[in-house]
Amino acid sequence: MALTATLAAVPPLEATPAPARVRAELRDLKISFPRPDLPPLEVISGISMSVGEGEFVAVVGPSGSGKSTILRALCGLLKPSGGRVMVDGRDVTAPPPGVGFMFQKDALLPWRTVSGNIAVGAELGGTPAAERPERIAALIRLLRLDGFEDAWPRQLSGGMRQRVSLGRLLAYQPSLMLMDEPFGALDYQTKIAMGLELLRVWEAERRSIIFVTHDIEEAVALADRVVVFSARPARIVADYKVTLPRPRHMRSMRSDPAFTRLTEAIWSDLALPD
Amino acid sequence: MTDTATLTEERVAAPARRRSFGISPTALAQLAFILALLGLWELASRTLFNPFWSSRPSLIAVRLWELAVSGELWVHTSTTVQEAAAGLLLAALVGIPLGIVLARAPRVARTVDPVVMGLYGLPRVALAPLFILWFGIGLLSKVMMAFTMVVFIFLLNVMEGVRTIDPDHLDLMKSMRAGRFYLIRRVLLPAVVPWIVASFRIGVGLALIGAVVGELIGANRGLGWYVESSGGQLDTTGVFTGLTVLMVLAMLANQLIGFIERRLVTWR
Repeated sequence: MALTATLAAVPPLEATPAPARVRAELRDLKISFPRPDLPPLEVISGISMSVGEGEFVAVVGPSGSGKSTILRALCGLLKPSGGRVMVDGRDVTAPPPGVGFMFQKDALLPWRTVSGNIAVGAELGGTPAAERPERIAALIRLLRLDGFEDAWPRQLSGGMRQRVSLGRLLAYQPSLMLMDEPFGALDYQTKIAMGLELLRVWEAERRSIIFVTHDIEEAVALADRVVVFSARPARIVADYKVTLPRPRHMRSMRSDPAFTRLTEAIWSDLALPD
Repeated sequence: MTDTATLTEERVAAPARRRSFGISPTALAQLAFILALLGLWELASRTLFNPFWSSRPSLIAVRLWELAVSGELWVHTSTTVQEAAAGLLLAALVGIPLGIVLARAPRVARTVDPVVMGLYGLPRVALAPLFILWFGIGLLSKVMMAFTMVVFIFLLNVMEGVRTIDPDHLDLMKSMRAGRFYLIRRVLLPAVVPWIVASFRIGVGLALIGAVVGELIGANRGLGWYVESSGGQLDTTGVFTGLTVLMVLAMLANQLIGFIERRLVTWR
């Protein structure tokens, strides 16, 4: 079954069947940054895409291609210069409710312990104070941080810090998770382990995810769909459906011809040298 | 695979802080160094030069005892401590909020920057005669001297502290729709606390300088006044006794702030 999984390279948007309910949508999004004494730097030149309920979409593209910029626009941290940004059918003017952002840097508060940092998500996500300790303890178990509840961020390794950051995101209980190269700074092994943890969490409670990365294999391994961005100013080059079966198994998947074909297709889309 | 990765990571355990009771080797070495210096001074003033010029530790000890018994030591010390402490606290009260406001309003900060830096660079010791004129020879003029010495330390440090807040922290809080109050209480204040503590550390010495300078110019009590009036009578033992007490005060204050810092900033 896995061996015969087909992959369909589809042109942007039109051919993608509309998912049941659209959570996030970009319509002809344009973003440019003003520069002193120079014409504005055009980062995004007309991107249209949408993400459905419970869908896991990865965005790959060369660095500096404005992948992160679309996430910032989606959670209201950045104003588009043209087009529309919508979450749950409403134009984004301020950070919309239910949208959680995970940065490439863990952005943990150094003056809060592991559980204190996870608590930030629970406090801002509106978990009643009485339910917070239980919820935080459950996340600590889920992310295998047991025994480190009272450790300070400076005492943790990069992988653990990023898991605390994921814990904070989950404690916020977002229904749409925006992840900006969240595992980009981690070593290869930790990165794979974190990817699997994310899949485990996502498969348990299906949230919509937009996952920005420059790692093609990571994108294919995790997502339902991979959207490929061009170099700046960004356009959508391709939009692939990933038909690999779930739950995904890293080792067997890597030798799956469907996996290899898809990564190779993206490789050539990005015009990477052979 | 997952398990291997997590297991290797979790070896990074928090090291348990060693606590030793009694006197640490560092404290012993520090004490030995002070005693050695005092011994050398005592010896030199008995053999190399006349104690008229630089007194001698034994004479200072006797004077300290006399002043303590007569109650004068308490009068002068408490006066100077009150002036310095009031100036220091006033500077914190004015400098901290002003620093926060200026850091959050960069345009205003740019506008006032030349004037602030000009005042900061001004040798404020030179203001002492003016302050005596304005605020009299009582407590207030010394409090104001100490205040002008320290307020810029708080202002500039707190501004820098707010500026160095990680923009990712702010974006993260904004993305989770944190309110202004949450942002101030959970991000801004904790980020600024170490800078405030550092300002106190630098400020203690400067506040003492401010109070003493005020007393040198015009006063009728305080350690600065005692040093000044002893000097006027060519009483070097008196001068050194005043200086010794001032030094001890600065050292004690530094210890106190170190203690508060360890309590307040546990996460560093």
